[in-house]
Amino acid sequence: MSDGSIPSTGPAGLSAVLRILALWRRHAIGLALGIVLSIVAFLAGLFLLAFSGFRLAGTGAGLILASGLLLRGLGAGRVLLRYFERLATHDATFRALADLRVWFFRRVARASSGGLGFRRSGDLLSRLVADVEALDGLYLRIIVPLAGAVIAVPLLFLLAERADLGLACTVATLLVLSAFLLPSLAARIVSRDSRALSGASAGLRIAVLDLVGGLREIRAFNAEGRMLAGVQAREAGLLSLQKRLAARTAIAGAGAFLCQQMAILAVLAALAGLLFGRIQPILGTLVLFALLAAFELVGGLTRAGALAGNVANAAQRVLDSGPDRQPDQEAARRPGQPPAVGTAISLRDVAFRWQADRPLVFEHLSLDIQQGARVAILGPSGSGKSSLAALLLRIAAPQSGRITLGGLDLADLDETALRTRMSWLSQSTHLFADTIRANLLLGRPDATDAELWEALDQAQLGDTVRDLPEQLDSWLGEGGAGLSGGQARRLALARTLLSQAPILILDEPAAGLDAQTEQAFLSTLNQVTGGRTVILITHRLTGVERLDRIWRLAGKTAAAAAA
Amino acid sequence: MKPDRTIVRAWSKAQSRIGRKQATPSILLGLVGTGLAIGQAWCIAVILAHALAFGLAGGTTGGGVAPGWRPVLLFALLALARALVQVGQETRAASAAAASRRRLRGETLTAIVGLGPALLRRETAGGLTALVVDRIEALDGFFGRWIPAASLAILSPAAVLAVVWFVQPRAALVLLLCGLAVPVSQAVFGIGAAVASRQQFTAMARLQSRFLDRIRGISTIVLAGRADDEAARLGVAADELRRRTMRVLRVAFLSSAALDCAFAIALVVIALLDGRALLAGGATTSWVGALLLPRSLFALILVPEFFAPLRTFALAYQDRMQAAGAAEALDRLAAPEPAALPASAEAVRTVAAHGVTVAFENVSFSWDRTRGPAIEDVSFRIPANETMVLVGPSGCGKSTLIEMLLGFVAPDSGRITINGADLASIVPQALSQMSAWIGQRPLLFAGTIRDNVLFARPDATAEQLEAAIRAASLDGFVATLADGLDTRIGEGGYGLSGGQAQRVAIARAFLRNAPLLLLDEPTAHLDPVTEREIFDSLKRLAIGRTVLLASHSSAAHAFSGRRIDLLQGRMIHAQTAVSA
Repeated sequence: MSDGSIPSTGPAGLSAVLRILALWRRHAIGLALGIVLSIVAFLAGLFLLAFSGFRLAGTGAGLILASGLLLRGLGAGRVLLRYFERLATHDATFRALADLRVWFFRRVARASSGGLGFRRSGDLLSRLVADVEALDGLYLRIIVPLAGAVIAVPLLFLLAERADLGLACTVATLLVLSAFLLPSLAARIVSRDSRALSGASAGLRIAVLDLVGGLREIRAFNAEGRMLAGVQAREAGLLSLQKRLAARTAIAGAGAFLCQQMAILAVLAALAGLLFGRIQPILGTLVLFALLAAFELVGGLTRAGALAGNVANAAQRVLDSGPDRQPDQEAARRPGQPPAVGTAISLRDVAFRWQADRPLVFEHLSLDIQQGARVAILGPSGSGKSSLAALLLRIAAPQSGRITLGGLDLADLDETALRTRMSWLSQSTHLFADTIRANLLLGRPDATDAELWEALDQAQLGDTVRDLPEQLDSWLGEGGAGLSGGQARRLALARTLLSQAPILILDEPAAGLDAQTEQAFLSTLNQVTGGRTVILITHRLTGVERLDRIWRLAGKTAAAAAA
Repeated sequence: MKPDRTIVRAWSKAQSRIGRKQATPSILLGLVGTGLAIGQAWCIAVILAHALAFGLAGGTTGGGVAPGWRPVLLFALLALARALVQVGQETRAASAAAASRRRLRGETLTAIVGLGPALLRRETAGGLTALVVDRIEALDGFFGRWIPAASLAILSPAAVLAVVWFVQPRAALVLLLCGLAVPVSQAVFGIGAAVASRQQFTAMARLQSRFLDRIRGISTIVLAGRADDEAARLGVAADELRRRTMRVLRVAFLSSAALDCAFAIALVVIALLDGRALLAGGATTSWVGALLLPRSLFALILVPEFFAPLRTFALAYQDRMQAAGAAEALDRLAAPEPAALPASAEAVRTVAAHGVTVAFENVSFSWDRTRGPAIEDVSFRIPANETMVLVGPSGCGKSTLIEMLLGFVAPDSGRITINGADLASIVPQALSQMSAWIGQRPLLFAGTIRDNVLFARPDATAEQLEAAIRAASLDGFVATLADGLDTRIGEGGYGLSGGQAQRVAIARAFLRNAPLLLLDEPTAHLDPVTEREIFDSLKRLAIGRTVLLASHSSAAHAFSGRRIDLLQGRMIHAQTAVSA
């Protein structure tokens, strides 16, 4: 991205907003068209208002015919223009937002392969999605009226200047104040408050999550009153912050309103021959009505300014969510590499920690996994089993030592080569709110129905799916709702089996299943993974696993144990 | 799954009634604002009329006495008052909305707590949290904008109309006709939009949630090597969403175009009629003109004032749509009435020294009638201070038995007694004071380790807390932490391993010091070594208490006591005593 050079330390997230805008270049024409239409619609409205006043005011001046015709034309024109303006601006917004979503998805995906999304809670990601949605208002409520204001201010100045220079200066100053200065002031105030606000709402969310998730504990320990009081205290904090914000926004809005009223007052005074030199009444009337139209356009900007504070913060958070490293570094993985031969995995003298300030998870870790071997990696909780899975999947990189796949350094493999070679199944494997078919096809997009059924049968889920009214096209709710825990795990297994990856990494695949279901699940695994390397990461063995080798993780390294 | 419109309608009617009461000050202030605006319009009309008459008469005061400073000053005063009223109206509306949200959230949380743990069988914690926090927060617009706007959309134009009627009846007639056309066109296009959106609704909802869902499952997508494919498909879906949304908007915008149309027609007709009348009367030089001109101007200036509340109302309509989704979700929660407290609550007649005897007598229970009973005809007795081990695969009803004993759910038939008293007759508070419970994964609340242990008994002394932590063997681990007991855990805090978390739960139980101890697979997620250590602590905890332990068979041997084998809700084997 060429805009990556803009420093992100700019004032109040302005540079973040600019970077988001730079993403919308592709839709520049549509967005510009929306702005042009909105300005034309505004001008038409202005002329409508002005001429209707002009016509009445100018009855004695014999302008009836011309203005009457104008009125009729513009009356219809204004309605039509407004309609098409709305369609154009909304369509442009949705196009730009669609792009933004895809861009954001790619960005999080890239960060994910660097280990970020892997460890991030789904809840945090949902909040980021809300931030993307907060960018809705950027174009419609800020950019479009601002563009209108840029046209309206000089237009009004020129018009008023024909009557009186002093009046023109006064009116233009007030217009600038309410179109640019007050909104930016509101933006600054809100941006400060909105940080406190998002902290308070996160606090409320955590308190509610604790209350809802801890219903058993709360009932068992009689803590209903205490917990409700805790939530209500958080809520009171949030509400008082919101109240303060609402009051400030209202005051800023009233400020903009007073600007408008003072401008009208100035014109009225001039019309009455006070303060300014008495101006020509017909021109004065025209200025008055033009002013009303201009403020109708600009009046919303103060509130939009308050919104801008939120938008800037949201833009900043969205940008912060991405990977730290530049994408070109990723491209530096040489694609010209000879493809890896075989799938033997070897770790040599690996040291690893998640963060510099955290203790080492591994030190001098060495282990080998032969091609086609069935291996269990055992260890108590906290011994680094998940970290090992992350290293093998290249979600995390070791600080020192070497991990090779088929003799090639894992770090040098390109993304596709790596991902097509490994398939991963864990209790956090996500089932998507989609059809069963779409969920399975994630494993192998070109699989035929027969292959899908075969995988389902292998995972012993075929009969369950056959019993569903829509079979493969049955819709799964969010998080795979509609299937029991064991069935959901089997569906994830079917997806894993469907992928033709020669290496299967199974990270506690049966956790949370009861003993019988777990044994059935593991014996299924024994039968259906013929020829592939199976790496089973678990805290205990049930006795039904068929294994070639067992590694035990302990004391930051691994030791071979009997098979 | 289909949005039930009767529920939504009933809900929003009931909420509007309550919300309107709270919004009354804001509505009244809105009306005052309209009154002030009418006053300002009169000031403008007077000044303008005089200036025109003056200007056209060639600089002489042919139009009457010069109005001078008075209307200008009055205009300024009214403007100040209007600004103040505006601030008052807005802050009142905001606080009314805040009060409504607080009330609704309080009701919802009370319902959740009242329904208790059984609720978690059909709802997820994440979904409920989203309802309590986000859905209710999104109702801000419904209470803060929609309800006042709905009232003002009738009251304010009516006030303007009344005044115009008095001053310029013909203009008022035009306004009335154009104003009446607004609800008609709104209804026509509104119905069109509703039909269009109903057709698109399911598809739009799916496409919208698709993005969130894909982001949540992103590591699955990345690790399957499908990130690029999914990004492309997401692009197609987003485009589809745009086209469907635009299809709805195309109709919906027609209703606001109709509003614009009414506005323009009113303006044009009033201008033309009055212009002709003025011209016919030889307006500008005669006294007739001097009288008519300010009135015509006044009516014209009030046209935008007449339509402004209608426009606010149209804008707030989407806030009402927001409420529809929340209404359904809230209704789902409220549907099953929380179980009423037993009418005659008799206190249980026991003290810890004598111990607690528990008996199940022919107890049956089903979570869902279509799926058959979860518990069928179970009878057993645990004498005071003894241990009963429940053995069987998960789903056989072990947890259900424990939840019944905790009072989370009541048996369909049969009865459970504690020291001879029917469980149903014991007040929930007395029941939970008597028992301590440890589940598969204890919930750690956001807070310090100290807070989490003290959760069991907030009034415990420092010595009691220390003793409980020692008894649960939590002291060794706490000593390794820089902040000791003040280390923050739970959401956003230090992550505890399964074994450490379970020790916190054991420390809670020690601190609770209840005579009845219920253990629901406390070591299900632990490795063998940790499991042994936890069982050692649990055995210490069990001394002098009545214990019901649900566990898988291999771990059951760690505890001596009676044993029951359960399979699909039935007792298949009961053993009176086992020695370990």
